[in-house]
Amino acid sequence: MSGQAQLVSFTVNGRAHTLGVAPETTLKQVIREDLGLTGTKCGCDVGDCGACTVLLNGRAVTSCLVLAATCEGAEIVTIEGVAKGGELHPLQKSFIKHGALQCGFCTPGMIISSLELINRNPAPDEADVKAALGGNLCRCGTYPRILKAVTGWQEYEGQALDTKPREDDERDQERDHSVVGHGVTRYDGPDKVTGRTEYTADIRLPDMVHGKILGSTVAHGLIKRIDVSKARAVPGVLAVITGADVPQKEYGVSPARYDERVLALDRVRYVGDEVAAVVAETEDIAEQALKLIEVEYEELPAVFDPREAIKDGAPQIHPGDDRFENNINTRVEWHFGDVDKGFAEADVVVADTFVGNRPYQAPIEPHAAVVRWEHHAGKLTVWSSSMAPHYLRHMLSRMFDIPQGDIRTITPCVGGGFGVKAEATPLELCGVIFAKLTGRPVMMKYSREEMFRHFRGRHKQYIDMKIGMSKDGTITACQSRILLDGGAYTSYGIVTAYYAGSMVPTLYKMDNYKYDGYRMYTNLPASGAMRGHGVPQPRYAFEVLLDKAAEQLGLDPFDVRVKNAMGPDTVTCNGLDISSCEFKATLAQAREATGWDAKRKSLPKGKGIGVGCGGFVSGAGYPIYRSNFPHSNALIRVSEDGLAVSLHIAAAEIGQGCNTILPQIAAEELGIPYERVWMVESDSVLGPTDLGSYSSRVTLMAGNAVRMAAAAIKAQLLKVAAVKLGCDVGNLAARDGFIFVAQHPQVRLDWDEAARDAFSTGGPVTGTGHYSPPPNLGGKYKGAAVGTSPAYSFSTAVCEVTVDLETGYVSVDRFWDFSDAGTVINPVTFHGQVEGGIIMGLGEALLEDTLVRPDGSLLNPDLHGYLIPTIADAPAITSRAVESYEPRGPFGAKEIGEGCLPPILGAIGNAVYHACGVRITELPITPEKILAGLKKQREATS
Amino acid sequence: MSLGNFNLHHPATVAEACALGARFGRQAAYLAGGTELLVDLRSGRKSVAEVISLGSIPGLKGVRAIAGGIEIGATTPLAVIAESPLVIANFPALAEGIATMAGRQVRNLGTIGGNFSCGVPCSDTPPIVCVAGGRVALVAADGSEREVAAEKFVLAPRVTVLQPGEIVTAIRLPNQPAHSGASFQRFSLRRGSALAVASVVAWVRLEKKNIAEARIYMGAVGPVALAATQAAASLVGKPATAEAFAKAGDLAAAEAQPISDLRGSADYRRDIVAVLATRALTAAVQRAEGGDR
Repeated sequence: MSGQAQLVSFTVNGRAHTLGVAPETTLKQVIREDLGLTGTKCGCDVGDCGACTVLLNGRAVTSCLVLAATCEGAEIVTIEGVAKGGELHPLQKSFIKHGALQCGFCTPGMIISSLELINRNPAPDEADVKAALGGNLCRCGTYPRILKAVTGWQEYEGQALDTKPREDDERDQERDHSVVGHGVTRYDGPDKVTGRTEYTADIRLPDMVHGKILGSTVAHGLIKRIDVSKARAVPGVLAVITGADVPQKEYGVSPARYDERVLALDRVRYVGDEVAAVVAETEDIAEQALKLIEVEYEELPAVFDPREAIKDGAPQIHPGDDRFENNINTRVEWHFGDVDKGFAEADVVVADTFVGNRPYQAPIEPHAAVVRWEHHAGKLTVWSSSMAPHYLRHMLSRMFDIPQGDIRTITPCVGGGFGVKAEATPLELCGVIFAKLTGRPVMMKYSREEMFRHFRGRHKQYIDMKIGMSKDGTITACQSRILLDGGAYTSYGIVTAYYAGSMVPTLYKMDNYKYDGYRMYTNLPASGAMRGHGVPQPRYAFEVLLDKAAEQLGLDPFDVRVKNAMGPDTVTCNGLDISSCEFKATLAQAREATGWDAKRKSLPKGKGIGVGCGGFVSGAGYPIYRSNFPHSNALIRVSEDGLAVSLHIAAAEIGQGCNTILPQIAAEELGIPYERVWMVESDSVLGPTDLGSYSSRVTLMAGNAVRMAAAAIKAQLLKVAAVKLGCDVGNLAARDGFIFVAQHPQVRLDWDEAARDAFSTGGPVTGTGHYSPPPNLGGKYKGAAVGTSPAYSFSTAVCEVTVDLETGYVSVDRFWDFSDAGTVINPVTFHGQVEGGIIMGLGEALLEDTLVRPDGSLLNPDLHGYLIPTIADAPAITSRAVESYEPRGPFGAKEIGEGCLPPILGAIGNAVYHACGVRITELPITPEKILAGLKKQREATS
Repeated sequence: MSLGNFNLHHPATVAEACALGARFGRQAAYLAGGTELLVDLRSGRKSVAEVISLGSIPGLKGVRAIAGGIEIGATTPLAVIAESPLVIANFPALAEGIATMAGRQVRNLGTIGGNFSCGVPCSDTPPIVCVAGGRVALVAADGSEREVAAEKFVLAPRVTVLQPGEIVTAIRLPNQPAHSGASFQRFSLRRGSALAVASVVAWVRLEKKNIAEARIYMGAVGPVALAATQAAASLVGKPATAEAFAKAGDLAAAEAQPISDLRGSADYRRDIVAVLATRALTAAVQRAEGGDR
């Protein structure tokens, strides 16, 4: 029973409201639920993330920490009230023009906090902004752009908004394109700065009900009894389900290792493993009912460390399943060349044991899903904050025996993913069951804590790595043995185990390479795919060992990297086909621009400079499950008047900017301005399949599909124009809204006129395109497919740090990144991804770790115990594109979103060593570990 | 998680607030900024039947000059305190300390009265008020008023001297003597919005280059804000030298009673206390010498 409701009157965005509210209702709930102003977001519910920030009597507050009934007489401003009369506030324009938003989920809170700041200080400097926005978390790491947008907001006072690039964001190299290569403003900018963008949890359907899922309280046990009768009896509860009520089959990501159940039937394997679920009229009722479900467990011995899990006699997490002997979920044993010979030839062999951490993606938007059962036709509609809606649909189809064509997946805007939203979850799966049981639309959401418990974060890796090097710096051999902590289920982990090995030889040439990888089951939440999938920790180990070897040989870290650097058109020792590659150029530019040689010698104790390199695939060469479907597909339709086109594609905008890049590619190929393109959001009915936003694949693969679709339309229109202009099709070109004779541009026709003619004579003008990676990528050995890609990115990152020698605190003062991402389509989104990757990498290197209590429960499943970087922690960043032309990419483009992260850890670790002589082999590099290292150093010298 | 179910009261006066608190006893919680209470209710750490909001009591907000010092109303938001010219003039270390706390949105809500009343070991304002020689003004259910020295207010983690029906109405800071100065130093794992691993606030008064008086308090390294009495005593009558500060830092480290948790081990916290104490003393002396308190 709620306490007595109270009447409260306040104004929101100038409009007076008098409402009856329950005492426990927060201001955020009233704003979102009662007033329908869903621009105010919910990321944590406890004041840690700042996504729900509103102005309360002129002051920025987290509305989740304010009881609505205490707001009598208050003046409240939400993001919807910032623009006036259809005119954006200059601050909003500044955010758009600076590209100061990516997934957009934090953007309303950021803008409100910035508004409070500029109201009291109209000309804030960077320090003021950092002090004011430290409580607004942005996981995309857009901080450098936000700093510029807020300090420079006055520039946009009285300025009309357009899509033109800001001068400082113009592309790095000149190429002859009118749309591609230019930093046009993001397509989703205006919606994201005004709070209009709809995320899954913002969806309101008539008669919607709410589901919640109960997690196990023990890390390993057998379910002896579940009694749901009390939960069922709660008024407002519509249904309660347990493991007996779900499809009696397993699911997962890779068909070879389906090992998860929607709800556990007899065994739970980690604290949080889903055991029952409730659907009720409201979320509160569902939550109350969950607490009344009685589950009796017979606790079993649990294991939380993969080094223990692999031993004989360890508790078996999937007993009786002969696929998983000794808790080994995935076993990789590769040997290319002859490492024994390689090490024998080496002049120096360096080796060390590295222990990684368990970073969590922590997107500010918690995962959510809405499911509606369309009774009339046995069809399903599923809205989900999924990065890979195609795989979601595939899994729902398989689990519920519904043809894929009868499932409509819609991906509203996604508030950050970084890998955590790339698979079907119990949210969608229980949602389907509930939608069928109740006949009503169902909203399913994870809380922040539930997000952490479901996890799918980065695998913690235990790495033994060894590198051999000859005197001249040539790598003669590399060997690693890695145990990956997979948690209780497979998730994307097979791929992770392969990536941890396959991506090591892509950066540096090596003939002799051995990798033994064992992905272990433990009684922890399942690890999954996270940005740079499997790569950052082995890359950290490698980059650190490279520096160590160089030091022993008296060589400069840059010299050894250049010596071994990958070149274009190379097949690696593990059979990966490197096409374009400007890695050496990234090294050369980094060395020059950072003043490396002087700084390496002259920096005082406590200050250091370090380098790390990395890269990634531009899309996986093969899909998760066997399929001959093209990986990306696109449909473009021209409007009847020829003045607009709509681009239908089911790629997922998760902040990376594909809804901007793809219209640019379409506009360029069609020969029309960027402003004429409508994006039709990801919807499996409106757009053809795209495998999704994972493995950094969208720019290259969806870009190629879009370009092909556009080319098909252009071919039709050039034919029309050729007749009108009386010339040969082959002499015509299209650009900026005109079709013209290439040699005589003054002989031209309006593009829209050609399109109207085409429509008048032939009906709808459409074009389709599709993309499949080149066939037969990769070698013939087991697991050769993982790591294959049409193209690879390469980058060199350098950072300067200051280590406080008394506390061990590391200040990352400055970062430079030089990335070969092919030819850049949009400098704004490109640099935004790089900057964000640096900041996320900085968090992984220095701050982040999901910690486990002795009973297997999580110690810090929240954003005050699990610290991600804030704007105050963001270093100054210089990002430069070192362009190559990738023949397999659209307009020469490759990936950037993931490859920018792996170099960061090594760059920081190497800089810390340069600053203070302490090597940290166990991530994260905490001040405490550094101080311990410094003490040891002192003891050794005294 | 929902906040649970409770009745919400909006007393208009201190007397009404106290009467409600006395009536409901342990069933009730007072609500000031909500930045602690709502988090506790949401996490299930706390569950109450009655919530008594102090937000609509007019006299509890604001900073004013009083005889011999300043008075900060209990429900004054932390951000308002940090911006108050009176506070900045009287005891700038308090404004500096507040600036390191949480995010701006939480500082706009959280109050100094709440920061004291919650009795959380890593709260940042209590050690600063302690070192300033501040006092906590309380009103009890029977209307009686009392003043408690700040260092006597928190008894144990989340336990204070407050009786049911008693509330904090103000924090009072005395005017500081000439040639005195204080500095608050805090160490956290991230720059924006993070709890302290440890904090130290030092206050000194100088007489002819020598330290005549010193006080040192430590936060997040004990069950309550701890006085480093031996460290402070070691400085009295001595010249303000780096050696003296370093020795005091070591003494403070020994006096700390830290625990190990996810933010750092007990040993590391002691190391940090020594560093912070040295830095706080150095800055406090500079401030005392500059005549800027």
